[in-house]
Amino acid sequence: MMVLLLVLPLLGALLMLLWPKVAPLLTLLTAAVCSLVALQLVSRVSEQGSLQILLAGWPSGLAISLEANSLSSLLILLTTVLQLLVALYAVATYRRDKLGAGFWPLSSLLQLGLTALWLSRDLFNLYVCLELLGIAAVALVSLSGDKAIKPALNYLLLSLFGSLCYLLGVAMLYGAYGVLDISALALQWQANLLSSAALVLMTLGLMLKAALWPLHAWLPAAHAAAPAPVSALLSALVVKGPLFILCLLWLQLAATTQAQAMAPLFSFCGLAALLLGGIAALRTPLAKNMVAYSTVAQLGYATLALGLLLQFNQPLFAAALWLFVLAHALAKAACFLAIGEMTATLGGKRLNTLKGASQTMPLAMFAFAVAGGSLIGLPPSGGFLAKWALLQGLWLQGDQLLYLLAIVVVTLLSAAYVFRVVALAFDRAKPVKPDFAPHIVPQWLALLPALAVWAMTLYSEPLLRLLKQEGL
Amino acid sequence: MSLLLFDTALCLLLLALALASMLSRQLVNAVMLYIAFGLMMALAWARLAAPDLALAEAAIGAGLTGALCFSALARQQLDITAAALSWPQRLWPATFVVLMLGGILAALLQLPSVASPLVAVAQAELINSGVSHPVTAVLLNFRSWDTLLELVVLLLALLGALPVAPAEKSATSWSLGLSWSRLLAPMVILLAGYLLWAGASQPGGAFQAGVLLAAGAVVLRLNQQLNWLSWCNFWVRLLVVAGIAVFVLVALLALWLTPANVDAVWLSWPPLLAGGIILLIEVFATLAIASTLTLLVVGEPAPQHNRTESV
Repeated sequence: MMVLLLVLPLLGALLMLLWPKVAPLLTLLTAAVCSLVALQLVSRVSEQGSLQILLAGWPSGLAISLEANSLSSLLILLTTVLQLLVALYAVATYRRDKLGAGFWPLSSLLQLGLTALWLSRDLFNLYVCLELLGIAAVALVSLSGDKAIKPALNYLLLSLFGSLCYLLGVAMLYGAYGVLDISALALQWQANLLSSAALVLMTLGLMLKAALWPLHAWLPAAHAAAPAPVSALLSALVVKGPLFILCLLWLQLAATTQAQAMAPLFSFCGLAALLLGGIAALRTPLAKNMVAYSTVAQLGYATLALGLLLQFNQPLFAAALWLFVLAHALAKAACFLAIGEMTATLGGKRLNTLKGASQTMPLAMFAFAVAGGSLIGLPPSGGFLAKWALLQGLWLQGDQLLYLLAIVVVTLLSAAYVFRVVALAFDRAKPVKPDFAPHIVPQWLALLPALAVWAMTLYSEPLLRLLKQEGL
Repeated sequence: MSLLLFDTALCLLLLALALASMLSRQLVNAVMLYIAFGLMMALAWARLAAPDLALAEAAIGAGLTGALCFSALARQQLDITAAALSWPQRLWPATFVVLMLGGILAALLQLPSVASPLVAVAQAELINSGVSHPVTAVLLNFRSWDTLLELVVLLLALLGALPVAPAEKSATSWSLGLSWSRLLAPMVILLAGYLLWAGASQPGGAFQAGVLLAAGAVVLRLNQQLNWLSWCNFWVRLLVVAGIAVFVLVALLALWLTPANVDAVWLSWPPLLAGGIILLIEVFATLAIASTLTLLVVGEPAPQHNRTESV
């Protein structure tokens, strides 16, 4: 089943390169089949526990190990479903938006990279997956043509630097312990200078790739320059890959003393990202940059949850961390598709073009507002669920008033940047005229993930239970 | 004693070449120094008893990367000089690098000098892997999933570079270059074939052979020989994806042919057929790597008509 999830997008991408004419159809087909298989994987893992394979049938240590636990299978499901949705959106708009033919194979290979990353439990294999992800993402950004080349090149160079830092850390660990498998490494782990240096180096590289504050500066330019479906994929999924590896490292490998030492730093970075990313989102005049800065801010929640998890070792924080990742992925895909649709139809990149959008494009605006509700954390949305888990965890620890206060402030900040758009959209005095009659289908496609993130609360009980016990 | 002298000189030379390449004002000079650095690096790998890496470094670091850099330089409008940086602008990255290097070196001094426990396991399993050279066994049997994904990374690099390649400047070939490249071509093919075949038992293998083949193809292409070698050509595209496609298809076939009483495992080769399977994969991987790298260096722009008709 895991093999199918890996082979299908790969073979699909190869066929797309050979016959570009059928590429959209093939993308839809592989994404649809993979979604069904992923759904099956989720149900099987939740029934029978996690699945493990040692690739190529060699003994443990020599072989690369793959593991599908409930978290990995959920993330795979999220990847395939968002891939399907974005592919549908791209099919619905590619004539209008002149999306390059390169989009189809690249997005399939991106799906392969993500799936391989969620499954892998081997430090070097994770590096290869990171590389795959980074290069696919850069190639996708550069699809927008000349104006995207500079942000794409910046992204490429920083991403390569991040990969090299990670690789150097892996080499140091391999030199010290002689194994690459994470579970085998965890058994022999010792907290000394060498392992700390390797961890710091890998963390540096991964934070750069995941655009965690203060290493986020490349993200707004790159995500804003990409075509709308690409930005949706990048913001929703690609930045979560390095975050996943970061969690693997700190939760499974690092010794308690190392984790305790690093925890305040993660919490601080998370809070700073929330605060400064929120302020930047509030100030930027461009629509897509606003959404991109909101990604920087929202990743702060995940970093904060990771820091608190390392500090207090409370399973609620693990649930909060992954709920943030799931809710943010769905909400951000909806935001980028909705904003992309509105800016394409109303003809302008600035936020001012959205003036009166509630009248001219009510459906897309509704999608944005609904997704924004989850970004703020309004009940009963996925974002609320995550924030509730975080607050509950903090409450149970007691005496964490400073964190509680900070969370209130950043929630108000995220409400401010979402309502800035909504208020503008309801300013119906002189609405911006659309360049052409708004298309209905893409707007509905933008609305779907927004509705899905609110539907997450319907499954809050099993989700919380799964993620709490898993927590990596 | 003399070897120690050689090593010290090599290390100093490497540092000097790296610094000179970075600080050089003229990009052309920087690229040339970088190529020299690649050659010295290959020597260093050879001294460290890693002949596989030395071969790869000589072919890629010194050969192909240099060609890539020159072809990128040739597409610039004018011979640009790197903008002069002020001292504070240089100081910050330098401090960062020195601090990081210091930390890493301090950590590396603590490395234990015991060999990895995996080496013994790999040596013990070598007889079941189908090849007798441990590097090839790791690349194409023990950790073949990594190699497959690396081939995808190479393909992605090509896919990313194709749409942004600027228009090719018309260049006339030089008659001496033309005859020289014709003379070189059969030897390159022969040598690549030898490297590929030798990979089973000694240093060599698909990557080195592919790069060598690519170098030959680039020389020919620059002399207006292999004009059919372009992304629009269906057969070239087939060649580029053949490496990955054969890899996956063979793995699927092996999965399908597994006897019912054995657990089917992805990418596991039956021990008796492993040698043949690895050679088959390597042949197609060599061709794919060669064509991918050639297309990367030649870097023709994506034709507009093809893009519009295919969307």
